[in-house]
Amino acid sequence: MALVSELTERAFAARRQRDWDQLDALVRTVQGRGLRRLMPEQIAQLSPLYRDVCADLSRAQGSRYSAPLIDYLQGLTAAAHTVLYGYGRGRWVLPGVAGGGLRLALDAFPRAVRRHWVAMVIAFLLFFVPFFFGLFATLNDPSFAVRIVPEEMLRPLVQAYKEGFDSGRGAGLDAAMAGFYVNNNVGIALRCFATGFFFGVGSAFYLVENGLVTGAIMGYVAANGAGDNILTFVVGHGSLELGAIVLAGGAGLSLGWSIVAPGDRTRVASLQATARSVVTIVLGAAVMLFMAAAVEGFWSSSSLPALVKRSVGALMFVLVMAYIVFAGRGSGAAAAAERAERADRWT
Amino acid sequence: MQSVPLDTDVAIETPEHIVFRYRVAGPARRFLAFLLDLIVCYAAFVAIVIFVTIVALGIAAVTSTAESVLGAGIGLLLILLFTIQWVYFVVLEAWRGRTPGKAALGLRVVSTTGRPIGFRAAALRNVLRAADAMPLPIVGGLLSVAGLASMALTRRFQRLGDLVAGTIVIVAERATATAPLILWPPAQPYELAQLPDDVRLDADERQAIEMFLRRRARLGRARELELASMIAGPLAERFAFRAEDPSRTLAVLYDRAANAGRTDAPPSSRTPGSWR
Repeated sequence: MALVSELTERAFAARRQRDWDQLDALVRTVQGRGLRRLMPEQIAQLSPLYRDVCADLSRAQGSRYSAPLIDYLQGLTAAAHTVLYGYGRGRWVLPGVAGGGLRLALDAFPRAVRRHWVAMVIAFLLFFVPFFFGLFATLNDPSFAVRIVPEEMLRPLVQAYKEGFDSGRGAGLDAAMAGFYVNNNVGIALRCFATGFFFGVGSAFYLVENGLVTGAIMGYVAANGAGDNILTFVVGHGSLELGAIVLAGGAGLSLGWSIVAPGDRTRVASLQATARSVVTIVLGAAVMLFMAAAVEGFWSSSSLPALVKRSVGALMFVLVMAYIVFAGRGSGAAAAAERAERADRWT
Repeated sequence: MQSVPLDTDVAIETPEHIVFRYRVAGPARRFLAFLLDLIVCYAAFVAIVIFVTIVALGIAAVTSTAESVLGAGIGLLLILLFTIQWVYFVVLEAWRGRTPGKAALGLRVVSTTGRPIGFRAAALRNVLRAADAMPLPIVGGLLSVAGLASMALTRRFQRLGDLVAGTIVIVAERATATAPLILWPPAQPYELAQLPDDVRLDADERQAIEMFLRRRARLGRARELELASMIAGPLAERFAFRAEDPSRTLAVLYDRAANAGRTDAPPSSRTPGSWR
């Protein structure tokens, strides 16, 4: 075997120890204080030293030197590998947002949604069929809502919407509610996606549950004579908020389906490929929910005339739909998005 | 030939075609790291709550905007709570490959190919915590039944988030350099007289003997001999060699197996890259 050294372990270690110590010191400097702290000549040394230690490791294994020496070299190689192929180059910033990448991200999101359009349609139905069921069942018989949502929760809502928004809310309460919407709604959307792992069952459950409860609450408030007010309230942020829940749920359904029907891949490979593709949707949905929280906190509760709010709400709906359906279709945009997706560092 | 890898190791092949192994972190260690992260987060959260309350009370005392200040404070704290739950892990793992809790326990997140993970992989593996926490999504995900089951069933201790994102959690701790074993005193003439030239030990035997020789200084003399005699007998028969006691027999045989036919060349002075 060519790799077997003629040296005893002691001689080998004595001969090579200086290089190991040198590489070790460089690696520790980088790990502690970053690559920028190295002198130019030290950076030039790093790569040849690393290759030498790689060779040493394979020599030590080939010569069957003792386990502690091999462990030491393994650790050194691994640490140097992490440094050389590693972290701390400022690439952790939201992918592609810097330097013209915002445009790419804006294109990539609707493209990813359209790629999974079947799951999105199913998610839409899973949310809105229970939603309208809850809405009309409650309008028909208000006690239906009481069966799914505790009455103690419903009464204050009716109270609040009956008062209307003529007086507005304090700016402070607006901020508190915006914080609540971020924490609550983004959490629900992410959970709705994640539980799709279980063959899509979790996503489907959260979609149906949220649809039914939302419908029932709106129906209950409307049945108690505050229908106009609640419609005025939700119309502004509704398209963003409910849209984002549906998109996150659809992404979860896709994830679950990739395990059920992996095609010609293994189940794990299929899962990972789908996850790579739908993570864009989930991040986009989270951004939508942040926007929805701002609208819901500061705009929907404001004392602006109902007509203004409803017109803006309708406009928002058209904008969101148009964005999802049409954005990023141009051939230039398509090519750029594909390239960005492939180039985006994944693993 | 390499010894058979333990099942808690994962082999990584570098672009230099060198294979090295990472030790995969088990559930207990990862649980502790997670707990530590939660403690760090919530301790910071409580500190900020106290700070914000004092500031809010201060502002409300001098102006008459108590309600808005309180509201803004609550909004801020709720967003902070969201950050703890979803953002903290993603940002730190994408940036450094480890959270403070993981760093404290010597853990690091890497892809299954040993490379650092990117933002999207970090986002996926942490969003999937919600699935790992099933079916008891309470107590901040501390009772991750699904995650634990997944770790038990996969070879590399991957929870569901790891499976989806293609990541593993490794122990990044480094072994320190250990001086090689030296036979002391050197082989005596009467030992050399009966020692065969070629002592062949297989990998397991070598490793067992080596571990024993490294440990023997810390054992009592009686225990040392007792342990040595368990394996020295058959070996002494195989190589027709017997030193004054079983422990010495093993030391001499090991020395011959490890060093026979090799030279003790002096250290060379050389520049990096010239070692071929």
